[in-house]
Amino acid sequence: MSLLTAEVQALIGAESSVEAACDEVERGAVRRYVQAYMDNDPIFYSDEVTNPLPWREPVAPPLFPMNMFRRPFGTPDPFSEHDRNPDFDGIVGSTAQGLPPLPLPKTIGLLNAGTEVEVFRYAKHGERVTAKSSYHSITEKQSSKGPMLLVVIETEYRGGEGGLLLRVQKTLIRR
Amino acid sequence: MSRYFEQVNVGDVLEPLVRGPFRSAHLMRWSSAMENWHKIHYDRKFAVEHDKLPGILINGTLKQQMIMQFLRDWAGNTGWVWKVGFQFRAMNVEGEVLRLWARVTGKRELPLYGLVDLELGIVNGEQKESTPGTAIIALPYAKGAPVPYPFVPPQGPGSRT
Repeated sequence: MSLLTAEVQALIGAESSVEAACDEVERGAVRRYVQAYMDNDPIFYSDEVTNPLPWREPVAPPLFPMNMFRRPFGTPDPFSEHDRNPDFDGIVGSTAQGLPPLPLPKTIGLLNAGTEVEVFRYAKHGERVTAKSSYHSITEKQSSKGPMLLVVIETEYRGGEGGLLLRVQKTLIRR
Repeated sequence: MSRYFEQVNVGDVLEPLVRGPFRSAHLMRWSSAMENWHKIHYDRKFAVEHDKLPGILINGTLKQQMIMQFLRDWAGNTGWVWKVGFQFRAMNVEGEVLRLWARVTGKRELPLYGLVDLELGIVNGEQKESTPGTAIIALPYAKGAPVPYPFVPPQGPGSRT
């Protein structure tokens, strides 16, 4: 049995629409973020430190844009549909990042196999960020447990003037 | 701190970054900052009894942030951490101390800057590797121009900006 059906192959290269993060890069969100991973670098808050540096003003950590795509105001609470489900694991949202889901049997699981990141510049405080994803590649391999797909989703994060901040490739194993 | 390409040698080992022991408060704080509500990172009963895990898990996203911090601290504000890749090969759980390590595996001289190749990872107190990876960092030459910002990658495969 092959998982790489014609329907799956047809999605290679498929793109999401351009999604805008619901909030700009918030100074308070940056503070909570860097404190949570224990990074006291003053480039995240000090005008005095950043003024002579190429970015000139306080910035967000390089991977911060990856975590800006959150539930906007006025949208339904994703927890409410699980109110009576004690097995609810807390996961909300999708790993497909705006892409159409792969037409695979429901028994096929998902594992995060790895991430590759290219960083081009920091996002500035107050900057708007957008993201666009695509199915970069989908290939099939045989494992001891049968066929599996290696699905590479590429996402480009851009800043307010459209310049590239980050390019991220996530490899997912589907088997 | 400025680090120059000429100061780096293949085989150099970076001063490790050590974090932990990670407690549930650390993981709840990170989950909250991320708005990641997956219960395996803060609900011990759910993680152990429902998902049959050995404990609440240290988030992969927290480990990837620490990798970036580790590399940026080494590169300094005059260098640029261009590429980082890693795999989540093993779980890390509450109570562990994590040690981030890296070693220089190669150097390449380019017209505008030099590129330094590294291998890296995260080991716990039992020296078990959980997050092997690689990175490429651009460093300025001692008597050269600053690394361009925004970063301009070298021409060639993988450089599509």
